[in-house]
Amino acid sequence: MTPDNLPSAFPSLARLVQELNRLPGIGPKSAQRLAYHIIRLPDEEAYALAEAVTAVKRNTVYCGECQNLAESSPCQVCGDHRRIRSIICVVEEPLDVLALERTRSYRGLYHVLHGVISPINGIGPDQLKLRELLERLADPEITELVVATNPTMEGEATAMYIQRQLGRDDLKLTRLARGLPVGGSLEHTDETTLIRAFQGRQEL
Amino acid sequence: MTLAGGAERGRAYRCEGLTLRKASIGEADLVVTVFTAEYGKVRAVGKGARRSSSRLVGHLEPLTLARMSMARGRELDIVSQAEVLDGFASIKADLDMMTRGLYVAELLDGFGPEDSPSPALFRLAVNVLRVLPNAADPESPLRYFEFHLLRLTGMLPELYNCVECRREVEPDSHRFSVNLGGVLCPDCRPLEAQVRPLSLRAMKVLRLLHRGSLAEVSALKLNPSLSLELKSVLSGAVRYWLGRETRSNAFLERLRVDTAT
Repeated sequence: MTPDNLPSAFPSLARLVQELNRLPGIGPKSAQRLAYHIIRLPDEEAYALAEAVTAVKRNTVYCGECQNLAESSPCQVCGDHRRIRSIICVVEEPLDVLALERTRSYRGLYHVLHGVISPINGIGPDQLKLRELLERLADPEITELVVATNPTMEGEATAMYIQRQLGRDDLKLTRLARGLPVGGSLEHTDETTLIRAFQGRQEL
Repeated sequence: MTLAGGAERGRAYRCEGLTLRKASIGEADLVVTVFTAEYGKVRAVGKGARRSSSRLVGHLEPLTLARMSMARGRELDIVSQAEVLDGFASIKADLDMMTRGLYVAELLDGFGPEDSPSPALFRLAVNVLRVLPNAADPESPLRYFEFHLLRLTGMLPELYNCVECRREVEPDSHRFSVNLGGVLCPDCRPLEAQVRPLSLRAMKVLRLLHRGSLAEVSALKLNPSLSLELKSVLSGAVRYWLGRETRSNAFLERLRVDTAT
């Protein structure tokens, strides 16, 4: 997949372009631009980039509890004794944890599924960290599971699948509210969201 | 480019489309595959459609019928506006039902022609999705869909005459061959045929699927063994012509096994 217009006499550059081209959202032209940018960087900056890539791969592990990507297991959240240990919030991706942590309003624990059930794309429950979630839920100390998968069809499918798999009647199962986004408008809101927003209306 | 038998898509056009699937690209864009009556299968980009503040958000979810304004693009068209006409909420409220809906979408994606008007196939899919949640047995509308999908794409199963000798088949002495596309009489044994038995009851239901209305079929409550036989015949035919197992059907099977254990 070496880009045609790179001279074969420059194999190390061709290789870098090829590797960059594999990244999501990077086409062959962007890959070439980035490669030439890296070549022109001062040595220490280029080596720092390479070192950062190596270090992140070397030091990243899955947290044995929440399955989030972290530098240690348990991760910072799971190891923090100030967190409320009776609530688990289940999310699709590590980036969702970051988004929720930015709110500083949730103090419970997380569980990262690393994906979402998508029958049409052939992604089933076995490809997610669902078994690990069910194992955690066997602990009677956990009293609430907040399902915070995205409000998309796949997110809903995953939420419904989790609901079916729960073997405990005493566990409170909740789903993040769905409704109008801040800054949105009724006029452009789809009917499903409007129905949900109406159902979830709150006293002023 | 002139479209086969249909109006040429202008630079900007409007259509009613059923979203079959979506995929993320770029920072916040979506690529959706939409099935339309006028243009068949269309692939289009929803710019920024993954942002919660986007005017497109929610209107481009899979299994959503929407009125869309599109702009013709070089490779992919662009969704400039979309407004939900039917979100099929009762299908999406149940995991089994949602998976059945996705089966309809997956088959439309697999069989639906691109750049070719397909009003009958479009109506068939929308009507099946509408009756699905209220059918006496939710599998029956799926069999209706499979049967008429095959019919509309030129692969109608032959149910009356032997596909080999063309003689009318006698009741209760027929077999079915997926790769030859219909029933076989007891005398014909072509070498290349993949043959399976077909019960008289299943044959009757297949003929009802052919001649009956969707409303009649949706009122059918079949016993489990007959339901399974019909599924095996029709899903088998669909799988044969598609050349692969459908993922949503495999997931539906998984759910069935999960529930049974």
